[in-house]
Amino acid sequence: MVQGNIPGKELKPVMDTNEFSEKKKPRTGRNTLSREELKKQQEFQQEAVTHINSLYNYALHLTMNPDDAENLVQETYLKAYKFFNSFERGTNCKAWLFKILKNNYINRFRKNSREPGKVDYDLIKDFYHSIKDVRSDTSEAESDYFHSLMHEEVYQALQSLPEEFREVIQLCDIEGFTYEEIANMVESPIGTVRSRLYRGRKLLRAQLETYARKYGFNTDSEE
Amino acid sequence: MNCNKTRVLMSCALDCELSAREEEEFLKHLAECPECAAEFTEAKKTKMIIREKIVRVKAPQSLVESILRLGTHTNPQAEGSLLFDQL
Repeated sequence: MVQGNIPGKELKPVMDTNEFSEKKKPRTGRNTLSREELKKQQEFQQEAVTHINSLYNYALHLTMNPDDAENLVQETYLKAYKFFNSFERGTNCKAWLFKILKNNYINRFRKNSREPGKVDYDLIKDFYHSIKDVRSDTSEAESDYFHSLMHEEVYQALQSLPEEFREVIQLCDIEGFTYEEIANMVESPIGTVRSRLYRGRKLLRAQLETYARKYGFNTDSEE
Repeated sequence: MNCNKTRVLMSCALDCELSAREEEEFLKHLAECPECAAEFTEAKKTKMIIREKIVRVKAPQSLVESILRLGTHTNPQAEGSLLFDQL
C-alpha cells in the first residue's frame, strides 16, 4: 500500500488532542506496522480523529440512541481508515467523514426511522436522559452543559421539523459546513440547500417563538 | 432589490453565502427597509439560539480509544467486517 500525499498545510486540531498524542505510537511488541502504515495512522489521527466529538453528536441526533450512535461512529471511522488513501488531501475531512456517517446511517438505520414530521416526545426525553448517563461517566461537570439540558424545547423544535429541513439546519448552524459541503453531503444542488434552509428556518422560528419569549430572547424588533 | 428577493436571500446572508454583488444589494435594501432589517435581526437570533442551546456532548472515552487503535491491528475482527460493507 502506498501512502498518498501529505496535505500541504498542517491542520490545527479543532479540539484538545493532547490526550491522543501519547497513544499515537503503537505499544511495544506491536511494531509490526510498516512505515507507511504508521504514517497513515498518524495522519489519520490528526486529520480525522479530531472530529470525533462532532461525529458523535451528529450520530446521536440521527439515531437518538447512544449505543447506536457509538456503533455508527465506530463504523464510520473503520471505513474512513480503510479508505483514507482515497480521501482528497486539502479538502474538508470533517465533511468527508460526515458523508460516510450519513451513508452508513441510511444503510443501517433509515428503515426504522420515524415518519417525517412525526415526533415522539418521550423519545426525546429518553434521549436527554441517556445523554446525561453517558455524560456522567466523564465526570466533567461543565456548567454550560447542564444549562443546555434545560433547553429541551429547542431540541424539540428542531426535531419537529421535517427531516430535509432539520438536516440542513443542523449541518449549517451546528456544524458550520458551507453550502457547497452540505450540497455534497445531502446530494442536492446548492439552490436546494439554500431554499431548504430558508424554509426550514421559517418553520423553526415559528416553533421557537414561544420558547424564545419564555427564556428571555426578545423576538420583537428592537429597532 | 425588493423585499421578496431580500427575504429569500436572508438565510444565505446569515451564513455569509452571498456573492459580493448580492451582499451589496442586500445591505443596501436593509438600510432602506426597516421591515426587512427587523426580519434580519430576528433571523440572526434564531441561528444564535440553535447554536447556543443545542446540547453538545463528548464522545465516550471508550469510543475514542478504540478509534485511536485503528490501524494497530488490535481489532482485526472489526476491521475484517468491513469486507462486507461498501463505502
